[in-house]
Amino acid sequence: MSPPDRFVIRRDDSGYPRQLLRLDHPPEALYCIGDPSLLTAGLAVIGSRRQTPYGRECTAVLAGWAASRGVPIISGAAVGCDQSAHRAAIEAGGRTVAVLGCGADLDYPPSARPLLQTMRRDHLVVSELPWGAPPARWTFPARNRIIAGLAHALLVVEASLPSGTFNTADHALQTGTEVLAVPGSILSPCSQGTNRLIRDGAGVVADVEDLATALERCGLLDPGASSGALAQHTAPDSALAAALASCPMTAEALAQALGRSVHEVARELALLEIDGLIRRTADGQYCYAPRPCGG
Amino acid sequence: MQACVTTASLQGVEAFLVEVQADVASGLPSFGIVGLPDAALQESRDRVRSAVRSAGFEFPNCRVLVNLAPALLRKHGTGFDLPIALAVLAATAQLPPEIAAGCIAVGELGLDGSVRPVHGLLAYAIAAARNGLELLGPPEAADAAEAAGGTPCRTLKDLRELKNGGDRTASRLRGRRRPSVPVPDLSEVNGQQAARRAMEIAAAGGHNLLMVGPPGSGKTMLARRMPGILPPLSDAERLETALVYSVSGLDERPVLDGTRPFRAPHHSCSVAGLTGGGAPPRPGEMSLAHNGVLFLDEMPQFAPSALQALRGPLEEGAVTLVRAEGRLTFPARFTLVAAMNPCPCGFAGDRERACTCTETAVARYQARIGGPLMDRMDLVVRVDRPDPRAIVAAEAGETSAAVRERVIAARRHAESTRRALSSQLTGPRLLEACRLTDPSLRLLERAARTHHLSGRGIARVLRTARTIADLEQAFGVSEEHLLEAMSYRVEEHPR
Repeated sequence: MSPPDRFVIRRDDSGYPRQLLRLDHPPEALYCIGDPSLLTAGLAVIGSRRQTPYGRECTAVLAGWAASRGVPIISGAAVGCDQSAHRAAIEAGGRTVAVLGCGADLDYPPSARPLLQTMRRDHLVVSELPWGAPPARWTFPARNRIIAGLAHALLVVEASLPSGTFNTADHALQTGTEVLAVPGSILSPCSQGTNRLIRDGAGVVADVEDLATALERCGLLDPGASSGALAQHTAPDSALAAALASCPMTAEALAQALGRSVHEVARELALLEIDGLIRRTADGQYCYAPRPCGG
Repeated sequence: MQACVTTASLQGVEAFLVEVQADVASGLPSFGIVGLPDAALQESRDRVRSAVRSAGFEFPNCRVLVNLAPALLRKHGTGFDLPIALAVLAATAQLPPEIAAGCIAVGELGLDGSVRPVHGLLAYAIAAARNGLELLGPPEAADAAEAAGGTPCRTLKDLRELKNGGDRTASRLRGRRRPSVPVPDLSEVNGQQAARRAMEIAAAGGHNLLMVGPPGSGKTMLARRMPGILPPLSDAERLETALVYSVSGLDERPVLDGTRPFRAPHHSCSVAGLTGGGAPPRPGEMSLAHNGVLFLDEMPQFAPSALQALRGPLEEGAVTLVRAEGRLTFPARFTLVAAMNPCPCGFAGDRERACTCTETAVARYQARIGGPLMDRMDLVVRVDRPDPRAIVAAEAGETSAAVRERVIAARRHAESTRRALSSQLTGPRLLEACRLTDPSLRLLERAARTHHLSGRGIARVLRTARTIADLEQAFGVSEEHLLEAMSYRVEEHPR
């Protein structure tokens, strides 16, 4: 295995991404490891570090779909939504770009090490900071502006209030990048931010089709490329799955809401889980998470 | 002159016979004990000397030597006071030589000549019965003799009684019965349907149970009610458990009344505190929970070494301590009920409060328990803080007695069909006991693939499913049973 290609692109180089020049302070240089051809247009997918099952699922579906259509997914390799987005892109066979808040040769956060190693080899890891520069508090907001600058569209999956993702969204508005947001439950604190973005005029991504239209609008997808093969959302025919689709619950809460005995509900949940319609999360709740092909 | 009195010494939960030989010979006045006595036993010389004098006897003013045979084994404790006094008095012809013939004499002496109880009287009574001997000891020995199945017993309140010819009749005097401590009842718990169901299954099949939930969700409250839904102790179990309590010097009467023990060691408990240990070795919390419930609250806070020490006993039903003096076995067959918060802050998945932990912190917290121990938890159930409305409504839940009835019926069903609790089934016996039909087998295969179940994981699901079927008095395990069992499974590959 050959070591991944390291290269540096200065602002006056021909390979410097034009879209970055829209920023107030475009980076002087980009330190990159990986595939230089990925420094073109892409879709940024961001969200909170503490993601809910809902956020994880939305990221997987939307980022995976866009990546499978050939749109590079840009994100920050942070814990939570960022990593989910990179993984979804890789699993869908697409391309992905990580913009780091430290030197592009450092593994930060440490939990992203295997992911970053894969990405340096097959995809692209970028930073405006020189090799070996350690992460610091101020480097992350600065990194966010590069994500917003590189992308042609910015998709916010989940954000609470206040949230660092707003910083990225502000940069996007400044540069004229299209901001898209995934709506969430009005009761979920993790969706307050995205719902507010929608109220303030962000594009609504309620399904894959919305995303397709938005990507076509900003030139990331050819018109018509999205036709067909869209995942159809059908209403789940089980009352339990339908209840879980609106918000994750424990078996007990579900039994209480439906006025049924817990062990009956537990049995039905177990079957839905095997069928790949719902999933049990680490904290013991069940959430609606239809798998494309039954696991 | 020489004289001999039989007594016994504790080793673990058993008492082995020891002969106290006294030799009184002319020479410079001295009083020596040989035969590996420990410090408490060495002090026995001073107590015996005073007690003998107080009771109006003469302590020989010459060379007194006491040997404890077999001399090779180390002797512990203060129970030798009485036999040493009797042997010395017999050797000096102040008492007839047959004064303690056919007896195991045991008891501590006060300086005033009173005979006081020692730890492990029940073990002495059992040793006496096994060797066809009588028990001679303090008044409390009568209780122990009766609990051991009516071992003949003579009691002695004071050495003075021997001056007047001695008490030859078995004392019928019983210790004062303490009003038995009421076991908390399940009806005091509001809601918690899922946890109640899991507890019922755990009780019916003897499964270990892990409750996961935020602080204040009632995990401890529920666990305390576990002994109340387990069937009452059988006679044999009662004696086994009471024996552990007796040698630990704890009150064994509640156990003798049939209450299953409930032990809840704090998470600062050491390995020796759980397994037993010390010199002389004493039973630990695992043995004190024998035939009952061992409750570990805040399980991840326990020292990893303490948690790992649980593994062997969970498998074997006994703790084996290997020390320089030899190996000792304490019984330790208990139902493990553990509780933990879902994350370090405790509020992951809570309805009202947001969790403030990072993902790595949560993963590290959950990993503290360790795979091998998790493998022994058949049931995992999520417990949530009850809805305030349910608390205010105070709707009384089902009583422990009602649940216990179903548990007993399920255990009877298991006993009649296969003579074993499902938690003890393994390998081919487990498969045979489940009598899976083709559709259930296919379901199990499908589930194993989706959930990435390991062999052990499948066995856990089958064991739990077998118990659920027992609760319904079902002959074979159906798909419904399997499905419910899967809802209590441990996540093997947390995503």
